[in-house]
Amino acid sequence: MPTAPIAEQRPATHLENHLRADLFIPEIKNKRKAAVLEELVGHLADRGITRFPEPVLEVLRQREALGSTGVGKGIAIPHARSTLVAERAVLVARSKKGIEFESLDEHPVHLCFLIVAPPSENDPVYLQLLAEIVKVVRLSRVRQKLLDAPDFHAVRSIISGQLHE
Amino acid sequence: MNEQLQALVALQDLDFMIREAKDPRRANQEEQLGFPLGGVQKLEKTRERLAKQIDDRLLQTYERMSRRYGGRVVVPVEGKVCLGCFMGLPTATSNKTRDPATVENCENCGRILYRL
Repeated sequence: MPTAPIAEQRPATHLENHLRADLFIPEIKNKRKAAVLEELVGHLADRGITRFPEPVLEVLRQREALGSTGVGKGIAIPHARSTLVAERAVLVARSKKGIEFESLDEHPVHLCFLIVAPPSENDPVYLQLLAEIVKVVRLSRVRQKLLDAPDFHAVRSIISGQLHE
Repeated sequence: MNEQLQALVALQDLDFMIREAKDPRRANQEEQLGFPLGGVQKLEKTRERLAKQIDDRLLQTYERMSRRYGGRVVVPVEGKVCLGCFMGLPTATSNKTRDPATVENCENCGRILYRL
């Protein structure tokens, strides 16, 4: 009886479970943080993650006021809990030109992972998603691969490879 | 969604964020992942400004229930069920929450209702 390859037998991580082809933006149109956040939340609203983009955008702005989620090395992971999102969602977006994101190292951002979730005192998955994204993007060669990937399926495969390494 | 309800939702989200940032264990986890959380005071000032926009009685109700339930006070209605206590709402209440000019409470748990 044929057996599945080992990689397929591994349980999917939280991040893999949240990746969706319709929540992938291959190239962000805007170049500044405020406009980029607006673009990303607009995309979430278009995909039905929220019916109220403005309040969701506002909570992301407040989260940035708490401390920039531009963590350096070309990565931003804006994240916030909003009463007005129905479900946890992860949006992956890229910018080859780079975004001015007020990052900790002041370098432009090329890869953006946006996380939104409903408020919950007991939601370990939210923090787990943050940790998994940080793990995926820690190596320079992986970040470059994610930028060069031709489509969502290639991005997903690179992310899976890193999470199961 | 009316302005008062929208302000309450913003307040609830802000309270959540402040609570998490002030929780040493939770804050430490985020900081270890590379996210600085130095702007708590800024958020608290924003909260003060936002609270002033909310009707006193509504704000008091929110604060009281927030202490009682320890968190989520403004909750969605799905179908005819309050997602705070998961009890069915009487038809009259579930219809009222569709009216953008009213802020309605769940008759069972008292939480403030909105529709996603």
